[in-house]
Formats: sequence, C-alpha cells, structure tokens
Amino acid sequence: MGGALLLLALVRGGARTLGWALALAGAAYVGALAARRHGLDGTAPLVATALLLCGELARWSIDLRVRIRGAELPARKRAAAVAALALAGLAASGIAVGVAAAPTGHGLGWTLLGAIAAVGATGVGAWLARRPV
Amino acid sequence: MSGIDSPALSAYAALAAAGLVAGLASGRVEAVALAAPFALAVLAGALLGRDPRLTGTLTLDRERAVEGDTVTATVELTAAAGADRLEVVLPLPEELGAEDGAALALSLGPGRTRTLELPLRCDRWGAPRVGPLLFRAGDVLALRSWYGEIGEPRLLRVYPSEETLRSLVPPLETQVFSGNQVSRARGEGIEFADLREWHRGDRLRRVNWRASARRGALWVNEQHPERNTDVVLFIDTFAEVRGRGSGTHERAVRAAATLAHRYLLHKDRVGLVGFGGFLSWLVPASGMRQLYAIVDTLLESDIVQSYAQRRVDFLPPRTLPPKALVVALTPFLDDRVATALLDLRARGYDLVVVEVSPLELLEPARDSLDALAARLWRLSREALRWRYEQAGVPVVTWRDDMPLAAPLEEVTAFRRLARPA
Repeated sequence: MGGALLLLALVRGGARTLGWALALAGAAYVGALAARRHGLDGTAPLVATALLLCGELARWSIDLRVRIRGAELPARKRAAAVAALALAGLAASGIAVGVAAAPTGHGLGWTLLGAIAAVGATGVGAWLARRPV
Repeated sequence: MSGIDSPALSAYAALAAAGLVAGLASGRVEAVALAAPFALAVLAGALLGRDPRLTGTLTLDRERAVEGDTVTATVELTAAAGADRLEVVLPLPEELGAEDGAALALSLGPGRTRTLELPLRCDRWGAPRVGPLLFRAGDVLALRSWYGEIGEPRLLRVYPSEETLRSLVPPLETQVFSGNQVSRARGEGIEFADLREWHRGDRLRRVNWRASARRGALWVNEQHPERNTDVVLFIDTFAEVRGRGSGTHERAVRAAATLAHRYLLHKDRVGLVGFGGFLSWLVPASGMRQLYAIVDTLLESDIVQSYAQRRVDFLPPRTLPPKALVVALTPFLDDRVATALLDLRARGYDLVVVEVSPLELLEPARDSLDALAARLWRLSREALRWRYEQAGVPVVTWRDDMPLAAPLEEVTAFRRLARPA
C-alpha cells in the first residue's frame, strides 16, 4: 500500500500523500519485525536512509515538473545536499541502533541520559515550532 | 516577503514524531532508527532556511515599441543573506511573449548582485504593464521558501503594426486649407480642370496661348487646387469576435492606426471616435502629435459590453466637422452602430464603411441547427449591407486573408460606378 501511495503521490504531485506513503512503508517494516518477534535488525539504518532518499527524490521529481531555464546549478547543489543528508541520516540511525545493541546495565545514569534525550528532542521540536517565519 | 514551510517539512516532522512514539510504545529501536533521518532533515531545514533579504529593480530598455519588436527587461537582484535556490518569473500580459520563457532559476551568494536580461516579444498592440517580478527563494533542500515581489510595474506601449497601402480613399469634399487632396473646386493648382475666358485680375501665366490663338480672345486655364480634408475614423467598440488568437477589434485598431498615419502624412486632419460601451473621441487635428494622440487612444480602447443607447448626438460637434470623410470600421455585430452610421449619412457626411469580417474566426457549424442559425445570421448581415448601399454608402468587406488595400480599392471602384447622393 505504501508503494501504491508513493505512485499516487508521484502522479498527482502531492507532498502530503508522499508523507503517508513513507509512514505506511515504515509502519509495515516495524510491524513485520514486531510480528515475527525479530531481534534487533541491523539493517534498520539502511531502511531508514532508503525511505529518506525515496522521499527526497520523489519531492525533487515533483519540483522538476515545472521546467525553468538555468536550473542546472541549483540542481547540483541539491544533489550534494541530499547525498549529505542521506549519509548523516545513516549515521544517526546507525548510532541509534548501535547504542541499542551495546550491552548496558541499569542505573540512574542511563535513566538520566534517556530523560535528557527526551527533553532535548522535545525542546528542539518546540523551538522548531515556535521559530519565526 | 513571507516564508513558508514546505508540506514535506511538516510530513517529515510528523514521521519523526511518529517513529519516536512508536519506538517508545513498541519497545523497538528500529522505529527510532527510522525516525532519526527524518528528524535530521527537519533540523537541517530549520537551520539552512534563512530569509534571503532579496532586493532588486526591474527596468525596460524602452517605453514604446511596435508589434513584432523585442523589448529587453533587465532585472538586478541582490540577496543580502544569499539564496541557494532562487526562482524568478516575470508574469507576462497577453500582449507579450517570451521565446525561452520568462522564468529563471539561479543561485545568489550573500551580498552578491546578479543582472538578468529577459527578452520579451511584442505579440500584440496594447499598453501592458510589465512586472513586478515574482520570486521564490529557498534553502538547498527546498524545505523552506520565501516568496515576494521585486520591482515596480512598468508601462510599455506597443503600437500596432501598419498595413501597406498604395492609395487612400479620396474624399468627396475637401476643406479650405492646402493639402495633398485634389479638390473638385476650381482655382490655383496643378491638376488641369477647365478653360474659361479671361477676366480682369487673372494672371498672365494662366493664359492658354494655344486656345487663345484659336479663338481670337484670351482664354485661361483653370486647375483643381490641392486641399486637405477632415477624416474621422469611427471604430465600433460594442462587440467583437475572437478566435485563433486574433479578433476583429485588433484588426480594426491596426487599420485605424494605418489610415491615421497615412492621412496625416497627406497633411489632412484626422479625428477618432470610439463608439461603443465607452465613448471616446479626438477632435480632428494634424501633425505627428495628433498621430501619437490617436494611437495612444487606440491602445487604451477596449470592448466594453453595454446595453445603453448610444447616438452620435452624444459626441461633441467639433468631433464631426462638416464635409468630413468618415471611415467606419465595424464587424456588423451591433445594431446601434448601424443606426448611428445611417444617421451620419442622413446628415450628409461622406461615409465609408469597412466591414471587419468575423466569419473566418467562427467555428464551423456542429449540426444542422447551427448551420441554419449561421445562414440566418449571414442573411441579416447582407440585409444590413443592402441598407447601406441603398443610402449610397460604399460597404466593403475586409477578410482576414486580404490586405487592407484591397477593400479600399473597392471603395474607389464603387464611387466611380455609383453617383453619391
């Protein structure tokens, strides 16, 4: 269904449909892992990067439907930025999986670290939502 | 200038949040791993996106052009904060076109200035306003964009192209000032008119010695003097037919501009009446200033639908001087124009009617009912033409595929064969 929604997004040129397509694909992946009671899947960073690249390239193809003279230079910059974002995303996913795979104990330190990460993520989200346009 | 987040940014933020929540709920770190790149993309969009603080100017290389000319629009852009991705588009009115399109994409570094030249083709006469330039600037990932306008609208006057004419419609009556038209009166001139007996006061140079020798008394030559004439161009602006990118009003304006220019070159006085939903007029005058006044008025003329009754009484008396030649350009779509023109004829004006034919712009009849309606309409136009001819008014048809000179030659032929009332 995610693939069908992605096709629909490409045909109609809708970014919102694209978001649902990515969400369904991700949910299908996590759901399959949970259903099979699979252990930690080491390919998750690759799946995450693939989903991000899928979204970015789909958006780019929709933007390119309106042909504009002189779009080559900005296109090269965008290609480099997408590649850099994909690598950074792969690294971030890899860190998340790596930290989960590392043997850890229990204790106040880990709890505090988790709380700081949660608060930090919430703070970044709040800052993003409240920044002026 | 306003900034807008791309829908993708909201979608990525939602995906990141959903992944984190799903990871917490399911206890699977893979969901968090899926969310991490999207959270990074949201962060990148927030950090990379910045207001480019774009400023600039829009200028045209000239203010007046003729149909078919190319005018260059110059845009100077400066981005104080820089723009990785900048798309600009110049919305073009219907009178103008652009070969390579009027849109351009570029990058602009912080504090850099870039000058763009956009060639614009003048496809149709008019007085369009060019600008302002619209732009969309954004970060390199196109997650946030800023929209705005640059420059002030610039007025460009595109004058109609002129038709080629070999000769003009000669008037039946001339005025008292000197010009290039051969008058029917007798006096000093170049064209030979007649012989008469010598009277006290006649110049010796006018004596026709050969005739005088034959008759044994002095006989002098009489000539037709060259006089100017008053011409009023009467344009029907009640209705038009448009099709295939053209219209009857466009052709009428081109014809009026051509006739005005040619008559003014002959030292005639030319006036203008726009008879339609919106009445406009110019009192007859001569010279190049009058030509520009007429063409500027024609540029602003437009078809305005109206149900109001219009008569020639509404026009100032000086607009229609006595013995003026009135050249009417009409597509025969509105009866009010026919009534006004026949009224002019009844008042003794020298009237010529040029029918700007709309038949070539019509779509073919789709069924027998359409064909019958078209035939009835054509018959009503023939009847109107007959009414004019009964009143002694030459009516000529100017089709799309013929030059203007052809129907004007028909007017001369009509006058040669029919004696005007």
